[in-house]
Amino acid sequence: MDDNSRESFEERSRALFQDSVEGLDFALRSRLTQARHAAVEAASIRRRPWFFRIGVWTPTAGVTAAAILGVFLWVGSPLGQHAVTVADGQPNLEDLDIVASSEGSGDAMDMLQDDVDFYDWANKAATPGSSTSS
Amino acid sequence: MPPFDTLNPAWMVWDGPAPAPEEAVLEYTRELEKFLAEVERRAFRMAQVALRDPDDAMDVVQDAMLKLARNYASRPSAEWRPLFYRIMENGIRDLQRRRSVRKRFMTWLPSAKQDPDNEAQDPLENVADASPAVPEVLMRDQAMLKLETSLQALPARQRQAFMLRNFEGLDVADTATAMGCSQGSVKTHYSRAVHTLRDQLGEVW
Repeated sequence: MDDNSRESFEERSRALFQDSVEGLDFALRSRLTQARHAAVEAASIRRRPWFFRIGVWTPTAGVTAAAILGVFLWVGSPLGQHAVTVADGQPNLEDLDIVASSEGSGDAMDMLQDDVDFYDWANKAATPGSSTSS
Repeated sequence: MPPFDTLNPAWMVWDGPAPAPEEAVLEYTRELEKFLAEVERRAFRMAQVALRDPDDAMDVVQDAMLKLARNYASRPSAEWRPLFYRIMENGIRDLQRRRSVRKRFMTWLPSAKQDPDNEAQDPLENVADASPAVPEVLMRDQAMLKLETSLQALPARQRQAFMLRNFEGLDVADTATAMGCSQGSVKTHYSRAVHTLRDQLGEVW
């Protein structure tokens, strides 16, 4: 194969290929344009410094928001308030006095005393050799 | 001596590459878009020739665009072309391997039926005969179809070398980069491809 014939073959094949490229239909061109825009968008995101990227901050912001919400819920709950009071080193004994001096507290203490008697009896009953008649 | 006096406050300073200003990013993305707009149609047609399927070709080109933009956009723009085609050729090769494995797997299945579209065919079997009466456009289309069919019958490396050198116009060095081989191999593959194509198409062209 001489050089002229080789060059003419290369030129013809190149021209045919270029014709086929120009003949691509509108739908394919549109899909290629969309793909190009997506790639360019990806490149512009990539070029931003890491601390400007949304993807970096999204998990951090989520965890922070959850932690803040948890703190607010903890502080706002009765348990949280009690814990804060105790943490101050000044236990609120007034609350205990109120409970002890309330009207139903005597019955509650009697019932507690009954329970002590019952457990004492049950302990003796379970111990071999001990008398349960008392 | 105050505590922490030996600490260098420079550790708190961002010492990576300086953030690109907005104007630089705009210029950069404009340049990338121009490059992709220039190569996208030829790349698609080359992928279509290799894969014989427009949807697969579109996927490969789209993937190559994204990978170039994400991973290699910081390189000088002069390197984009061979890098882009290298990514695309890798994508084509991966897809062809997956096809091959799938085809091998399907032959072991008892109910597997051969897809007539995937069977190996004579490259020139389905090419219609050129009639002297057909218009010029149809003759060109048929000539391209014959060229395309002959290209599909070439070994992959010869096809790559021919398309990158002749269709895309890459020089030997860039073609070697795109193919991941030496320049001598490119010359050999290209020469063999031209010789084979000329032998097959010489009479009808």
